[in-house]
Amino acid sequence: MNGLIWGLIIALIALGLSLIFGVMGIVNMAHGDLYMVGAVLAFYLFPLLGNFWLALLVVPLIIALIAAPIERFVLRPYEGHHAVTMIATVGISFILQQAALATYGGVPKKMADPWAVSFNLFGVSYPGYRFLIAAISIVILVAIGLFLYRTSYGILIRASIQDKDMAAAMGIDINKVLVGTFVLGSALAAIGGVLAAPITQVSYLMGNDVVLLAFIVVIIGGLGSLGGTLVAALSLCALEGVLSALLSPTQSKAAIFVVMIIILMIRPRGLFGEPER
Amino acid sequence: MTEKGNLLEVVDVSRHFGGLTAVDNVSYAIRAGEVRGIIGPNGAGKTTLFNVITGELKPSSGRIYLKGEDITGKSPDLICQKGMSRTFQLTYVFPEMTVYQCVWVGVYSKAKRAANMFLSRADRLKEVADKTMEICRLVGIEDRRDELASNLSYGDQKVLEIAMALSTDPALLLLDEPTQGVGPKEADGIVQLIELLSGRMSILLIEHNIDIILRVCHNLTVLSNGRVIADGSCAEIGRNEEVQRIYLGEITCS
Amino acid sequence: MERKGVVTWFALGSLVLLAIMGVVLPGGARSLVVQIMIFSIFAMGYDICLGYTNQCSLGHSMFFGAGAYGAILSIMSFKLGLMPALGAALLVGFVLSVLTGLICVRLSEAYFVIVSAIISAVFHLLAMDMTWLTGGDDGLSASIPPISQSMSQLSLYNPYVNYYFVFFFLLVSYLVLKRMIGAPLGRIFISIRENPRRAHFLGYNVTRYKLVAFVLSGVFGALSGALYAMTLRYASADYFSFYWSVLPIVWCLIGGIGTIAGCWIGVALMSLFQYYVSAWFTHYLLLFGILILIILKVSRRGMLGYLAGRGSGRI
Repeated sequence: MNGLIWGLIIALIALGLSLIFGVMGIVNMAHGDLYMVGAVLAFYLFPLLGNFWLALLVVPLIIALIAAPIERFVLRPYEGHHAVTMIATVGISFILQQAALATYGGVPKKMADPWAVSFNLFGVSYPGYRFLIAAISIVILVAIGLFLYRTSYGILIRASIQDKDMAAAMGIDINKVLVGTFVLGSALAAIGGVLAAPITQVSYLMGNDVVLLAFIVVIIGGLGSLGGTLVAALSLCALEGVLSALLSPTQSKAAIFVVMIIILMIRPRGLFGEPER
Repeated sequence: MTEKGNLLEVVDVSRHFGGLTAVDNVSYAIRAGEVRGIIGPNGAGKTTLFNVITGELKPSSGRIYLKGEDITGKSPDLICQKGMSRTFQLTYVFPEMTVYQCVWVGVYSKAKRAANMFLSRADRLKEVADKTMEICRLVGIEDRRDELASNLSYGDQKVLEIAMALSTDPALLLLDEPTQGVGPKEADGIVQLIELLSGRMSILLIEHNIDIILRVCHNLTVLSNGRVIADGSCAEIGRNEEVQRIYLGEITCS
Repeated sequence: MERKGVVTWFALGSLVLLAIMGVVLPGGARSLVVQIMIFSIFAMGYDICLGYTNQCSLGHSMFFGAGAYGAILSIMSFKLGLMPALGAALLVGFVLSVLTGLICVRLSEAYFVIVSAIISAVFHLLAMDMTWLTGGDDGLSASIPPISQSMSQLSLYNPYVNYYFVFFFLLVSYLVLKRMIGAPLGRIFISIRENPRRAHFLGYNVTRYKLVAFVLSGVFGALSGALYAMTLRYASADYFSFYWSVLPIVWCLIGGIGTIAGCWIGVALMSLFQYYVSAWFTHYLLLFGILILIILKVSRRGMLGYLAGRGSGRI
């Protein structure tokens, strides 16, 4: 059950990454750190605002203020040069982590439970907040799904994933799409962080735990495919949950990675970009 | 299945991309020493056909034979080693290498051995060096051999393209619009080069300029919408009404 | 070719300087220079991947760690002498890079980056977990045998011996790599970097050569890991961390991608930076991140690459 909850959170993060990776082709190593920033902001804002919902709304706005300049000034100049962009995101990752370290501190802290209610589920007492996470995540996923598949802006984004140059040639203001996509993707990661903050330790390094997993989900789930990302996220997290009963947490993480490598070898959808034969 | 003496045989080759059929049951053959033109309106599938023959794309159906050997679906590097070489529509060189080095790489491809690959000094391999210079002289760029490929004029890059294709000593040379975008004087130079080469190897030529076609080609294959609509000598094609209809109103400038 | 001259002169000059510094420098500075030399080997190897075949790997820490543990465990558990232990470390690096290369090299650019990072993460996780083998974060300490049993005074515990031992391998590595890049293999690498599709059509099995480059860089990574472990007499699971995968990129980027020895500048600057800045500013990694962004702004190919780009020939 826990695994599924995490699966939903990872699905949000991975979806954001999928958009960024799909539309901009950028391997964003700082994506996990945007998740961390979301969590840290939630940590500070929740007691400040006294209201979890407000925090949930405010954080994406703050993230937008951070993400937009990053895209405009750091990433866009290197458009098309993927290795360089990736290195730049590593640089940003260091900056974000160290900024968090300097302000928030190095000690992982636990955040207060926003909904301190327990439910009785099959005879086991289950914290109500986790249902809230599930509910909110599902709502957001559905909303994003509608956005991507029904609205014209969403269709623009999906078209850009298919063929960016074509979209630009058709007169779409590609810069707006780029900025918008990056902000949206980062916001999703941050929201994931906000949702995750109460159920895990908030620490400046927490981004490292999720970023590789998010990439795995994106690769296995298929670029830009909402359904695929969701399925991959849920399955992988459920699998990790099952494994951690048998192995240590570190080993189950490693096992998930190995599973991914095996999948990639059997079904190399990872040949994206390779000439078709 | 394959006629004896045919250098290249393309048999019923089709290539689909999802719902789109780019190449539709195309068949033709080239003999040694022949220069064959592939003509047709834009989007007729000419470059796709090249991509299939050279191994970059697998045909959805059909087979391709080179010197009697089935090369369908083999990878481009193997096909090159077997004697087929191509140029690309957009010049496709090694930007940060000199002209000499660009040609050298192709020449070495046929000469490579593990013994000389790792520790010998590249420029000391005499045979490779001689052959490289020979090709540079043949196409007429030996005076620019030390210039960076990216610094060359467009016309010179087109010539370098051809030199690189020649460097692997092909029996069959595929030229994809070799005069596209160059001025008339440079185009003439390239045509003269093609004429010079046609004595030594077979050539498959995609070209829009009818004058050039008529000057160098023995035979033509006409494609439209991925299908062969005519195939024969230049004279026969010239008389073909359907071809005239397709080209009516198409004035090719070069 | 002008550019080749610049980097070669720089390399030769540095080597002469390094040879002299070994006897001249005070103890603390000497240790720092030993580290710089070790990391330069790592960086040169990495440049084969990044600068010569355009493969941006984020997983090279696995070779560094494998080399380090290969050496330390050979000495501790198998009681090998120093040179055999080094050989064992290289063998481990070779096997590891072949296996991971077979998985990664055929992947397209972005997927290559991610999968190399993931494989490296697996090693990191396992190393942290299997403390019975690796000592985890705390690591393993070992006492290092002398270079040869017969001449027991040639021990790495003597700082001068240690220095010139490392210097020897830097020299050999440089000469070998320089020779290889000047050989047909180097030119093939560059053609793959410049236009892989074209190289493919000229008759080269691009994937195979990319694998060769990857394995070369892995072996040199393992060599540097082994030398590092021998110098510090210590190996830790931390050597497998992401940080050690990022460092080579920064070194090469600062010093110049696609030059053999340009990365030495990157190593030197970064090492000095870390050594001095971390003393007064604990969050020096923040500057690290900013530094990366600044360098990228100045030149995508790194400092020497930038200077070189203004010359006439690049190869």
